[in-house]
Amino acid sequence: MKKLYQPGSYPLQKILITLLAAFLVTACASTPPPTAQMAIANEALNNANSAGSNEFAPVQLKSATEKMEAAKAAMQKKKYDVARQLAEQAQADAQLAMAITRSAKAQKAADALKEDSRIMRQEIDRKTK
Amino acid sequence: MKKNTSLAIALLGFSILAGCAAPKNAMLADAHNSYNNAASNPQVTTLAPLELKDADDTLNKADYALKNGESTENVNHLSYLAKQKVALAQETAKRKTAELAVTNAAANRNIVRLEARTAEADAAKQEVSSMQLTADQQAAELAAASAKAERDQELIAQQEMQLKELNAKKTKRGMVITLGDVVFDTNKAQLKSSGENSVNKLADFLKKYPQHKVLIEGYTDSRGSNELNQKLSERRANAVRQSLNNMGISNERISTQGYGEAFPIAGNDTAANRQMNRRVEIILSDESGNISNR
Repeated sequence: MKKLYQPGSYPLQKILITLLAAFLVTACASTPPPTAQMAIANEALNNANSAGSNEFAPVQLKSATEKMEAAKAAMQKKKYDVARQLAEQAQADAQLAMAITRSAKAQKAADALKEDSRIMRQEIDRKTK
Repeated sequence: MKKNTSLAIALLGFSILAGCAAPKNAMLADAHNSYNNAASNPQVTTLAPLELKDADDTLNKADYALKNGESTENVNHLSYLAKQKVALAQETAKRKTAELAVTNAAANRNIVRLEARTAEADAAKQEVSSMQLTADQQAAELAAASAKAERDQELIAQQEMQLKELNAKKTKRGMVITLGDVVFDTNKAQLKSSGENSVNKLADFLKKYPQHKVLIEGYTDSRGSNELNQKLSERRANAVRQSLNNMGISNERISTQGYGEAFPIAGNDTAANRQMNRRVEIILSDESGNISNR
């Protein structure tokens, strides 16, 4: 009985198979899936959402949400280049939405204080007269 | 002329160069515009330098992509990112400005509060000084009042002295002046000259105190009939009235009453006593001119 496949007896074959496998993997995904970018963009979108961007920056938030959905769809179709670009844009939109929200809130606070101050001054002027 | 031509050529060369250097992608040009706009805003450069730098880096990547002939899609993508990052920098600057305003508002509030306290203090001071003024006024009024009271006191004292000179006596009916000098002979109503002095003093008093009126009451002794004595007493009272009239006291201030032999002040047993009963009493009114009758 002849042992056809003895382990370690065909090193060249083994190497070749490994290389082929590696090649196949690389070929299938010439661009690696932008998992990290997807995660970052998703996080930015979540942040914008919980900060109340739908009130203060609805346009930017809508754009970010739509791009994120599109990016996920592209991931499904393994169109990683497209997915990465969409995720990057979604991140930029979400971050802008967040910035607009924060600045709007700060502006609101500043306006309220300004009004307070104005009323207080008026009160004083009235008292003094 | 020659100089102008070479200048024109030079300008042409520049413009060709500039044309080459300028981005040909519309979105990239737009992103550059946005960036330049933000970069010229000192608020953005001071308050959001990191965000602006990030936008600049992305813009450079886009420029590089265009220069290297990368796909329009990629250039557009990078331009879009750059533009959003510029917007982010601008929003950040806006937020920080507002936050500074909030911080300053607290300080501003304190300033306003301080002003309020100052104003309140000033108002209080003013109030105190106005109160002081009122107090001063009241003190002045009080002083005036006390001066008047003093004057009144003096007048009263003067009046009392004069009344004393007239031998006035305080009775239940008021001040009663018995003209002791105004004596009458028996069955006569003729005022003796010795009595004129007393009447004169009374006239002076009445001139000085025009609000006072007088009631002149005549009396007789008990000799003679009642009817006669009644008439005699009336005539005696009238004699004094006439005398006062002559001294310038108007009739309206004088009323007369005869009581005949009633109300003797002494017994009618001796001549001296009868002399005392033959008398005239003058009742002085109060300051409103009221006299209570017997």
